[in-house]
Amino acid sequence: MTDVLSVDERGDDSLLVTSIESKSPKRLSWDRFKRDRFAIAGLGVVVFFLFIAIFAPLITKIIGISPNALDRDSLNDYGLPNGRFGGISGKHWLGVEPGTGRDILARLIYGARLSLFVGLVATLITTSVGMVLGLIAGYLRGRVDTFLSRLSDLVMTFPSLILTIALVRPGTQRLEAMGVPEGNPARLTYLMLVTLFFGWVGFFRIVRGQTLALREREFVEAARSSGAGPGHIIFRQIAPNLWGPIIALASMSLPAYVAYEAALSFLGVGIIAPTASWGIMLQDSVHFYRADPTYFFIPGATLFVLVMAFYLLSEGLRDALDPKNDRQQVA
Amino acid sequence: MKLRSYKFLGVAIAASLVIAACGSDGGSGSINKATKGKPGGTVYILTQGEQITHLDPQRNYTGSDLAFAASTMHRTLTSYKYAAGGEGSEIEADLATDTGTASEDAKTWSFTLRDGSTFEDGTAITCADVAYGVSRTFAQEVITDGPTYAISYLDIPEGGYSGPVELNAATTAEEQALFDSAVACEDKTITFRLKVPVADFNVAVTLLSFSPVPKASDTGEGYDTAPVSSGPYKIESYTPGDSLVLVRNENWDKDSDPIRNAYPDSIVYKFALEGAVIDERMIADNGDDQTAVSSDGILPENLLTIFDDPKFESRRQDGYDPYVTYTAFNVKQVSCLEIRQAVWLALDREALRTAAGGPYTGDFADGFIKPALAEDYAPGKLVEGLNVDGTPNTEAAIAKMAEAKTACPDIYELATGEGLKFDHGDTPTWAKLVAIWIESLKAAGIVLNSNPIEPSAYYPTIMDPETQGSMSRSGWGPDWANASTVIPELFCDCGGFNLSQNSADPAYAEFEAGVQAARAETNRGKQGKMWQELNQYVLDQVWAIPGSFTKAQDIWGSKLGNTYRWGPYGSFNFGDLFVNS
Amino acid sequence: MIAYLTRRILFAGVLLLAVSLFTFLVFALLPTDPAALTCGKACTPERIEANRTRLGYDQPLLTQYGKFLKGIVAGRTYGEGQGEFTCGAPSLGYSFSQKDCVTSLIARTLPVTGSIAIGGFVLWMIFGIGLGMLSALKRGRWPDRLISIVSVVGLSFPTFFLALLLLFIFVIWTQILPFPSYVSPTEDFFGWCQALLLPWLTITIISSPYYIRLTRFGMLETMNEDYVRLGIAKGLKRWTVLRKYVLRSALIPIVTVAGLDFGATLGGAVFTESIFSLPGMGRLSIKAVSDSDLPVLVGTTLVAGTFIVVFNLLTDIFYGLVDPRVRIHK
Repeated sequence: MTDVLSVDERGDDSLLVTSIESKSPKRLSWDRFKRDRFAIAGLGVVVFFLFIAIFAPLITKIIGISPNALDRDSLNDYGLPNGRFGGISGKHWLGVEPGTGRDILARLIYGARLSLFVGLVATLITTSVGMVLGLIAGYLRGRVDTFLSRLSDLVMTFPSLILTIALVRPGTQRLEAMGVPEGNPARLTYLMLVTLFFGWVGFFRIVRGQTLALREREFVEAARSSGAGPGHIIFRQIAPNLWGPIIALASMSLPAYVAYEAALSFLGVGIIAPTASWGIMLQDSVHFYRADPTYFFIPGATLFVLVMAFYLLSEGLRDALDPKNDRQQVA
Repeated sequence: MKLRSYKFLGVAIAASLVIAACGSDGGSGSINKATKGKPGGTVYILTQGEQITHLDPQRNYTGSDLAFAASTMHRTLTSYKYAAGGEGSEIEADLATDTGTASEDAKTWSFTLRDGSTFEDGTAITCADVAYGVSRTFAQEVITDGPTYAISYLDIPEGGYSGPVELNAATTAEEQALFDSAVACEDKTITFRLKVPVADFNVAVTLLSFSPVPKASDTGEGYDTAPVSSGPYKIESYTPGDSLVLVRNENWDKDSDPIRNAYPDSIVYKFALEGAVIDERMIADNGDDQTAVSSDGILPENLLTIFDDPKFESRRQDGYDPYVTYTAFNVKQVSCLEIRQAVWLALDREALRTAAGGPYTGDFADGFIKPALAEDYAPGKLVEGLNVDGTPNTEAAIAKMAEAKTACPDIYELATGEGLKFDHGDTPTWAKLVAIWIESLKAAGIVLNSNPIEPSAYYPTIMDPETQGSMSRSGWGPDWANASTVIPELFCDCGGFNLSQNSADPAYAEFEAGVQAARAETNRGKQGKMWQELNQYVLDQVWAIPGSFTKAQDIWGSKLGNTYRWGPYGSFNFGDLFVNS
Repeated sequence: MIAYLTRRILFAGVLLLAVSLFTFLVFALLPTDPAALTCGKACTPERIEANRTRLGYDQPLLTQYGKFLKGIVAGRTYGEGQGEFTCGAPSLGYSFSQKDCVTSLIARTLPVTGSIAIGGFVLWMIFGIGLGMLSALKRGRWPDRLISIVSVVGLSFPTFFLALLLLFIFVIWTQILPFPSYVSPTEDFFGWCQALLLPWLTITIISSPYYIRLTRFGMLETMNEDYVRLGIAKGLKRWTVLRKYVLRSALIPIVTVAGLDFGATLGGAVFTESIFSLPGMGRLSIKAVSDSDLPVLVGTTLVAGTFIVVFNLLTDIFYGLVDPRVRIHK
């Protein structure tokens, strides 16, 4: 298993010490990562989904499906899919949506696009803002640090989910009034802003802690005494040493944001239909629990698999990048 | 009469049945007839609603809430018969000794009160109490959401009276005198003087807005949660979001009330349940649920489960309800007949019906008046080229668009470029239905943008000319068996629910003149013809696209009797249910 | 120690005030007109204005905030004459769409949310710590591996999907359980358990993995500490060492996290409550969103925030009590 903390595995690794002594840290990490079968599987799944998301229009075109095309012929008079298992057929590989006959595979593919986009953007902005503020607070200390730390305490106090949901409609309206295009662009902008508001804190705390420790280290002292300015020290000397924990944390938060988008859409406060989203599909499918359970399981399982793949990948990364593992092996 | 908004916005079809006007039962499955029941037991009513929209009788305007309150707590001068089918739309004397006496010109109506009827505290119901109840409607500041027929019918100059001084401190003695002369009391006889002839005013008074209220107990806003009962039940406890418990009103005297049977010992309304939970509980039929009804009907996704299985045969019914759904155009914005026709032609009404539950949804409407209103209904002539089976006629729509390009280039530009804005409820069901709208109009080159509106803000948004989109979805049912409660309400500025903003249309003046003439017509047969013509007029102008003559389905617990649908309200007759042990 | 406590309590008070101000301002600055939302379909401008005056939305923001705070302490009366109504202290406002005081609305949801949170908390702590200990003791062997696989699966479930899945399996498909319907435990204890079983299971599956890891990590760390090795070397019984030293020090970080998690869950298990249709605070918030019921939203946000602050504070105090470094330094 991929757990960082498994002492026995560390023991195994130490046997290899002599053969890898001359490798760079990056190389060391990669070697460790490669041996983790679960992480490799996770990586495979994630790459697969990324591929699908990027080439969604092309893929659906090749298969000959569309996320919006209605197919009345695939439904019976009551709007339920013809045939067993939610209307799975040669034409619709994963069946059709009850009521409209839209192709579920096509909607899943476009939904993946949205989920991954949201996950990536959310992770990127929360990471970068959290990192910059953490570096500043950790390096400058004093009032700036106190202010930012208290601010992070305050943010942590808010019930983030309730607040996000509560402000979704008025927040979107306000953005629209400010000129963001109506509908999903405004809704997504809102969600990203709120995610940023609540999400930077985790990164901020970790980076701040690390920076506080690193700024006392010899190489920073050396740079300082040779006349380097704070900008240089923060971004050139300290920041490069933080990539390990940052990547580990970011790879944990990405799947969380993917699930978050689905969850908000499920509650009806995320993506606005008729745009395809996994959360909206799940919300709709609940109505057909009895009549068409396949419709519930397909998007649900897809979401589960993607989130799990991300977790496996992130644990593999954490293992591979963990400095403790480094020390143990190099020693 | 309104549909409960969450029902209408959520499912497109509501729970209720046939308006079986004047003897014609248009329903297909009204198997139930009213029978003699047994007293005792508790009846449960399950709903998704957080509360009864309004318990204040003058503010109650929702089909099933009216049926509930009228049959349990609020007596009126006349009431609908406690019977299934067409018989249920006939009126009987309730608080009055007979169904009223009209003058020759139908502008003066008088009713004499029965002896022995009392409020829940035992005080006798007097003519003054009825008059006071009617006067409350005029206090529009406080008494919101209710029907306003008292204001449009009573002979009081417009704006001359704004409610009794109890609800409106500004009311002067002179203003009150205006009301008192329009609604006069002489001993036990109450006389209404109307400014227009109303041949069926004695049916209008079945609305709870004509029910008595004791002046001393009127707490204004607070009366909405604690009204004084004049019927066989009174409120024991009311907690919005949880439950309303009714128990027997000991001061109600059966001898003074020939209509109500009052079988159960108590009636419990359970609020805030999930729709899916209600259906699951009704299907399971365990414990207390055996004496429960769902006041929300059945969710579309469970219809097949319930109607395909013979074990539910004695616990279900399917039939027409009083409502017609339609999509109103904002005529001020879409001021181009050809575009409106093109939208209608291009719309895949068949797919919409299938998505909403197919045959259970109802029939394609050919106008805004349901066939059950036999005297007022005539098959409507729809736009030329419209497919009867509901499938889109895209070629005809494209042809209309080509005409529009030369006839009204501005609107054509809007409809094919930036797009038209379609208002609908922000609900899961509509998320899918709107996809069908968008896709089918796209085939004719019309761009439609979805405008989902949260349910609570839906009506305020579409009623406001500033915020209404290009088209808005809605539904309506007549308040009694006369299209005078449909056509003017929906399309005339003289009514209360005109969403089409059609007064700027050159064709409007002629229409309004027609409405006024039809309102004044005292010959019911002639009046019916006039409503038919006006209905056709609206169809020709395409101020709105008719949706369905809706059907609704019900399920109830295995130990309940008298689960018939009460035609005029399209719901159970809650007060007539009995427990069958 | 007393100085430390006073500081923490003062800071918690400041945080709460800041949260209330922020929440209040955010909702007040929204483009939605709160007065327009107070009446339904046939809303006249006059009536909107009347309600605006009645609820005090016509006054400057800071005055409104002051009145809001005063209401929390002393209760609040709205309007005058016929339309007057009072919400007793602590008043969080009045909900027009629910026709009730926000405080009583929230008070009604607390037993439900509390039941979910307490039951879920007990279960996830038992499973989390128990399985974590097992994992640590059997490290590298099959129970450890199995537990770590199960934790990854648990972690990968989005809450709402797990809740839906459990509902489908137990209620719709096998029909082992009826549809959850909350009853008070004093009224029908068995019915209470039955209604809450699935919510508890959901929370336990979602939350346990974190505690399994924390416990396992903490135990492995301390088991390597010299004083533990010394204890074992001195011939103390393995179980005594585990209980007295290892578990005790491994538990400190767990209690810290658990306090925060519990506080957050008390603020409303939004998904669990909505999916199992339990009338708790999370569901109240969701309903309030679809009704645009601003007073309720301000109220639930504030109450949920209070829970977080209070449990933060309790955790801090606990930390101060068990960790001598904190006592001396601060």
